[in-house]
Amino acid sequence: MKLKSRWMVVMLAAIVLALAIPASADDRPVIQQIKERGVLRVGFDTFVPWAMKDKNGEYIGFEIDVARKLAEDLGVKAEFVPTKWDGIIPALLTGKFDVIIGGMGITEERKKKVDFTDPYEYSGMSIFANKKLAQGFHSLEAFNKPNVILAVKLGTTAATAAAKFMPKAEKRQFGDEAQAAQEVLNGRAHAMVASAPMPAHTVYKHKDKLFLPLADTFTKEPIGMALRPGDKATLDTLNAWIKKAEAEGFLKARMDYWFGTMDWESQLK
Amino acid sequence: MTSHNKVNPLDGILLVAILAGAAFVAYRISDQLEYTWNWSVIPQYLFRYDAGRGGYVANLLMLGLYTTIRLSIWSTLLACLIGLTMGLFRISGSLFLRLIGRTYVEAIRNLPPLVLIFIFYFFVSDQIIPVLGVDALERPGSSFAENALTFLFAPPGQISGFLSAVITLALYEGAYITEIVRAGIESVDRRQWEAAYALGLSRPQQIRHVILPQALPRIIPPLTGQFISAIKDSSIVSVISIQELTYQGQQLVATTYMIFEVWITVAVLYFALTFLCSMAAQRVERLMMARAG
Repeated sequence: MKLKSRWMVVMLAAIVLALAIPASADDRPVIQQIKERGVLRVGFDTFVPWAMKDKNGEYIGFEIDVARKLAEDLGVKAEFVPTKWDGIIPALLTGKFDVIIGGMGITEERKKKVDFTDPYEYSGMSIFANKKLAQGFHSLEAFNKPNVILAVKLGTTAATAAAKFMPKAEKRQFGDEAQAAQEVLNGRAHAMVASAPMPAHTVYKHKDKLFLPLADTFTKEPIGMALRPGDKATLDTLNAWIKKAEAEGFLKARMDYWFGTMDWESQLK
Repeated sequence: MTSHNKVNPLDGILLVAILAGAAFVAYRISDQLEYTWNWSVIPQYLFRYDAGRGGYVANLLMLGLYTTIRLSIWSTLLACLIGLTMGLFRISGSLFLRLIGRTYVEAIRNLPPLVLIFIFYFFVSDQIIPVLGVDALERPGSSFAENALTFLFAPPGQISGFLSAVITLALYEGAYITEIVRAGIESVDRRQWEAAYALGLSRPQQIRHVILPQALPRIIPPLTGQFISAIKDSSIVSVISIQELTYQGQQLVATTYMIFEVWITVAVLYFALTFLCSMAAQRVERLMMARAG
């Protein structure tokens, strides 16, 4: 009996020790690991039309095209790791994937935790509003009032932009864009802030209930790929690729398709 | 017995009141909600026609349901192992082991599962998964190995996430199974221990040959109930992006904006699964009762 429990103690101690020794972290540049593995692991979350699943369960969207082309040019396979947006940076830092290619806006706050590549696209914040509640609202000031309710997706730069440009308005944060949009449709929020072209698409679908208070976007945000910090070799490779993709017109062509047209909509439903 | 099964006027009134209440809620929803229902597109998210194979194959939601089932089965199996070990610790003669068992149960049961999942996924899985050598499984050489792994666990590339989820859920469910095991063992008459002792059996022998065979029929019915809990609890791991039913539902809502159709479908799928299991659990329970006489 005594002997047995002593064995147990030894075993438990061994388990605790195994847990305490950090896994031997791979210190080589991510780009080298990607090439050895033959797989580029890409983190992203669903944002229409940046990245989404079509009705066959395949990933499609602007970011997906970018990631596929990047992988192809690196001579590896792209593997997509869908990850909830509010946990995407911790997931990158703990090595669940190699890079975030998911329309992530470059912000000072995020730069403290991750390294960004040069911007490969620009997005802007736009707003759509409920016709009844926000009648006659045609400027950001009109929405910047304490009794105005704004819906946004949690952890996005839309949430930051709403807080910055309409600090007095009340913000309601949702895990999904669909829920936030539904809140405006149901008249429980005055308006929703999101990256263009989502607001324009939503208004197009519900012309009788919604409208676009501003003709244009009210911010211009650079979008970059995010890497674990301190990996200069990988950062340089990705920056060189972005330069090349821009020069070849690849990025512009994909942007025109995903953000300038709605041709892809039939792939969803 | 028959008088209990008769319908009396009060039942009729209650039924009418419930129906009226449901109709009122339905009216409010259709009247107040600015929502265009579109059920016709939902079936294709369950099964889709694959031109390449010339037949129907499972799509997003069914794939999610399969993952939920795999997740529940594996985590319950692992939880049974943890539960049995910790349950034996809880009734052990050694104070040290009793303390470990008690600490485990109290720590887990007093934490919200969501918090546990975050801690485990972001801190612990990084330590355990590499030790287990799962990385090799991520990229199997042959397509047979890949198919087998996909069928049993998850597609390559999702295996380490899947295992983290299984381990976390198992740790969580294990605490409840520990208590089920402990209660089962403690329900065995004290004199059974004494009789086994009098026969000259050592304590492990007493447990193995006398106590556990009697405790098991009392442990199994609540265990089947715990499996149903595991199915429901598995939806929590959607927060760490494990592609089970709830996660697939969230993703589908994010792409199609069909909030209500998708969530109602997801609810029906969960219900179908848990209801089937609870029917089976009732059967098992009756069987055990009949056996016990």
